Amino acid sequence: MATVSSAPAPGMHQIDLSKLNLQQLAQLKQQLDQEMTVFQDSLQTLKIAQGKFMESGECVEKMTPDCKGKSILVPLTGSMYIPGEISDTDHVLIDIGTGYYAQKDIEGAKDYFQRKVTFVTEQMDKIKMLGIEKSKIHKAICMMIEMKMQAQMQAAKQAAS
Amino acid sequence: MAEEIQRKMQKELEQLSGIQKEYRKAVAQKQQLDSQLNENKAVKEELVLLKKDAEVYKLIGPVLVKQDLEEATQNVTKRMEYISKEIKRADDHIFALENKQEALQENLNKLKNDLNKLKLKA
Repeated sequence: MATVSSAPAPGMHQIDLSKLNLQQLAQLKQQLDQEMTVFQDSLQTLKIAQGKFMESGECVEKMTPDCKGKSILVPLTGSMYIPGEISDTDHVLIDIGTGYYAQKDIEGAKDYFQRKVTFVTEQMDKIKMLGIEKSKIHKAICMMIEMKMQAQMQAAKQAAS
Repeated sequence: MAEEIQRKMQKELEQLSGIQKEYRKAVAQKQQLDSQLNENKAVKEELVLLKKDAEVYKLIGPVLVKQDLEEATQNVTKRMEYISKEIKRADDHIFALENKQEALQENLNKLKNDLNKLKLKA
C-alpha cells in the first residue's frame, strides 16, 4: 500500500530534448518504457485491492440483525467446512494490516471499507495522472528521435550528392 | 600496452557490473521497506481511530491473540521508527553505490580513450 506523491523528486531538472543525441534519446525512451510498465503493474495491483475492499464492504452490508442465529458453513481449510451459527451480528473483525485485526461494529466496518476504497481510488487517479504525463514525454521523445533520424538521413544524402 | 589497458578495462567492467547488481538489489530492498512503512502507517492511523475499549487482535501464526490497544499502538510506532532508520541506511547505501558507479564509469571512459589513442598511433 504505497502512497504516491506527485511532487517531482529532488534532483530532477528539465532537459532540453533537442540537445540530446540519438543514443541518449533511445536510453531515455527505454527508461520511460520501464517506468510506464511499473505504473501499469501498480494500477493492476491497486485495482485488485480496490475490488477486495468493495467486496468486503458489500459483505458487511449484508450483515443485518436478521442474520442472528442463521446457519453458516465455516471454512476450516480451503476444502473443508463445518456448520456454524452466527451469534454476533453487531461486530466484525477487520484485518487492518501487518497482522493486526480490530473489532469494529457494522457501522465502523462500513466506514472503514468506504475509506479504504476512497484511498485506493485516489492513489489510482494519481498514478493515472502520472502515467498520462509520462506518455506525453514518451511521445515527445519519439518525435524527437524521428526528427533527428530524418536530419541525419538528409545530411547523409547531401554528403553523398 | 594496449593489452594491459584492455585487461584493466575488463577488470573495471566486471567491478561495474557487480556494483550495478548490488545497486539494483539495494533499490529493491528500499522499495520493500517503503511499502512496509506505508502499511504500518495505515495500521497506525486505523489504531488511532479505534475507540479506547475496542478489541485488537494480533495474528501469530494461525491464531489470533488478543492484545491491548495501547500496546499495539506502541508496537507499531516502534516498528515504524525501526523501518525509518532502515530506510535511511538503505538510502545511504544507494547513494554510496551511485558514487562508486560514477567513478568506475569515468575510469572506464578514460581507459577507453587511452585505448583509442593507442590504436590511432599504431
